[in-house]
Amino acid sequence: MRELLSKISIFSILLFLGSCDPGIPDEKIYYDDFFENVADGMIIPRYANFQQQLIDMSDKLALFDSSNSQSLIEIQNQFKSTYISWQYISAFEFGPSQEYFGKLQEMCNTFPTQVSDIEANILSGDYNLDFPTNYDAKGLPAIDYLLFHTSTSDLLEELSNFKRIQYINDCIIDMQTRVSAVLSAWDQYRDVFVQSQGNDVSSSLSILFNQYLFDYERLKRDKFALPAGFATQYGIPILSDTSVVEAKYSKMSIALLQANIISLERIYMGVNEQGIDGVGFYEKLLEYNAQSTVVDGDLALAIQEQFSICKNALTNHVTDLPNEIINHLSEVELTSSELQKMVPMLKNDMRSYLSVSVTEGDPDGD
Amino acid sequence: MGISLSLTKWFTFLSKPTSIAPLGVFRIIFGLMMCGSAIRFWSKGWIDSFFLQPPHFFHYYGFSWVKPFGEIGMYLVFALLILTSFLVAIGLFYRGASIVYFVLFTYVELIDASYYLNHYYFVSLVAFLICFLPANKTLSLDVWRRPNIELNKIPRWMILLLKFQLAAVYFFAGIAKLNPDWILDAMPMSIWLQAKAHWPLLGDLFTQKWVAYSSSWLACFFDLTIVIFLSISRFRPFAYFILVVFHVLTGMMFPIGMFPWIMILSTLIFFPPHFHEKILQAIRYLLPVNSTQLLGYNPLILSSLKNKISGFIFTVFVLIQLCLPLRYLLYPGNIFWTEQGYRFSWRVMLMEKAGTAFFYVIDPKTGQKGEVDNKQFLTLTQEKMMASQPDFILQYAKIIKEVVQSRGLENPIINAEVYVTLNGSRSKLLFDPSLNLLDIEDGFKNKNWLYPR
Repeated sequence: MRELLSKISIFSILLFLGSCDPGIPDEKIYYDDFFENVADGMIIPRYANFQQQLIDMSDKLALFDSSNSQSLIEIQNQFKSTYISWQYISAFEFGPSQEYFGKLQEMCNTFPTQVSDIEANILSGDYNLDFPTNYDAKGLPAIDYLLFHTSTSDLLEELSNFKRIQYINDCIIDMQTRVSAVLSAWDQYRDVFVQSQGNDVSSSLSILFNQYLFDYERLKRDKFALPAGFATQYGIPILSDTSVVEAKYSKMSIALLQANIISLERIYMGVNEQGIDGVGFYEKLLEYNAQSTVVDGDLALAIQEQFSICKNALTNHVTDLPNEIINHLSEVELTSSELQKMVPMLKNDMRSYLSVSVTEGDPDGD
Repeated sequence: MGISLSLTKWFTFLSKPTSIAPLGVFRIIFGLMMCGSAIRFWSKGWIDSFFLQPPHFFHYYGFSWVKPFGEIGMYLVFALLILTSFLVAIGLFYRGASIVYFVLFTYVELIDASYYLNHYYFVSLVAFLICFLPANKTLSLDVWRRPNIELNKIPRWMILLLKFQLAAVYFFAGIAKLNPDWILDAMPMSIWLQAKAHWPLLGDLFTQKWVAYSSSWLACFFDLTIVIFLSISRFRPFAYFILVVFHVLTGMMFPIGMFPWIMILSTLIFFPPHFHEKILQAIRYLLPVNSTQLLGYNPLILSSLKNKISGFIFTVFVLIQLCLPLRYLLYPGNIFWTEQGYRFSWRVMLMEKAGTAFFYVIDPKTGQKGEVDNKQFLTLTQEKMMASQPDFILQYAKIIKEVVQSRGLENPIINAEVYVTLNGSRSKLLFDPSLNLLDIEDGFKNKNWLYPR
């Protein structure tokens, strides 16, 4: 029997080895090229870009002259491009951005912002932005309020108060410190991320996909359905409430939604920050020959197409979202339904083909 | 006359004395594995994330009264699971420990049905069986305390019962694989293997169609026949070798936790008594235990009333075990799609199913309608399980209803748009999105509100 067993083991080893014929075209699906492209071509340069935008804003703020409306406009414009650049990193809430003094998302983009808290902080001059009670009184939404909430002339007058400038600066420094920490942590984490294999819950594939999906669902719900009144709060249908929109004061909600969608589309297509189309989810789905279960045909193409449809739907909204909700609700509904169509493609199909795990536990049957 | 004669023969066969050693070894292995499992569960932080964090739970039909204790309570339950499984392993206060273990383990399993695993069910069943078996009557601290309880022989049915339980797992798992998706399309094997294409050496194979087909067929053949081969002494070592390879491979490929190790170690019971006697001897040799030995077979063990009762219980048990996995035959429709009769049937790693569920609450007074944020009610795992399992969908609607009513919305209407993809086929609506889910009663009746697959 021992002899038989050893024969069997040798046979099976030979069987395994024999099948690794170098002549067969390599059909394996690796993810290192994808991870490399995402890390080096997107995550790291996008964080660097956000960091640079914050530095530029700091610089402009230092030169601010409250007697000169042009200098306010310059800061406002700089703020807008900073907020846009944020949209390109919100999908990367894993690894370093989770580990450094809280979640980057919560630190930089908790909206709606609490105006009363901001004003109280400024008035007392005694605040610590690290406190959780101040998470909704800092970051981009707080600056959005301070730089845009009233007419230019009133703003200029307000901002002649040094304390307000100081508060804006503190918010910028707060974000800068955090994003710098995240960026430098990526030096180390980059290799961990790229070399990760497999699809279990801690694999790069799994965390990247889950955060990607999460960012999409946040866009759909928090940024769109909540202000439009298509959502519920703990099950209770809510009325439309345009005050919970992102970037309420600068009225750039649609521009931010567009940036967010483009960010997700580029991750999907694998377009890096130089505009070069590399390896993304799209290429991987093509390798799997993945079929859409939502519409006919290739899954890779169906998702690409749905991104275009969503982008087009957003360009139909020419003003900001609150105005669209009030005046063109039926168009807003159409956009919402297009945003919704993407969800099963990502949640059912893409997740199935990539076989990513959702959470811990011993999942999925036995 | 003939029937009663063959029944008598059958009883004689079942009560024939056999060595207690396999039962003793099984007790030690089972106790240690369960102890390890409970420690693993604790150390991974799952007590907190499974039983303390979620605000809502999914129930088995008829068991909605099972609720988790608070934080201290749940940790205490697991501490007791660790303690009692260890007591089972060393055979100390065996009867009490095994009963407490069975009750607590089953309690934990009943808290949230979204964590249903066949191997948890298996553990519950085995824990139930060993409560009745005299597994502590050899090499145990109970024997050390009271040497007169030691047994050398037990009736054969006690070993057969455990073998039956293992055989049921494999056999019904094999039967379940005899379906068109598995056999004719190599689904979902193709999807699963593809996901492991990065493996060294084997990765190349996994992308090839013939590998997916032969893996599907071999897995089916393995499940259907392994117990037969394990039962024939000539094939046993080879069959066990294949079994180990099979479980180790699946354990490496899929996130299935303890299951492979439980099966690998439990199936040792198919080895003959002298194999287990050697193990016990080896343990005795390591421990300072003086062997009293050879007390012989106690004929009382079958004739007492107690044993007649347990005989009845086990007969019913076996009949239930034979029928339960086949109850799906009573339901029309595709079992993967409706999942009627899916659980408790050894349907192990059988399908790739995913769902996306959009739930809507409508206030009938205002007509106001909104999409539910599932994250406000469920954990990610619960959401994933809910989105493809019809009975959970009904339960979820009720969960939403209760929360909504407590917040002042009296008579909500709850709709859901649920898209399900099964084994790579096109995502379809599971049922009519205009149904008010609150109008549907959950139960064992056919779920005729579901669209066909």
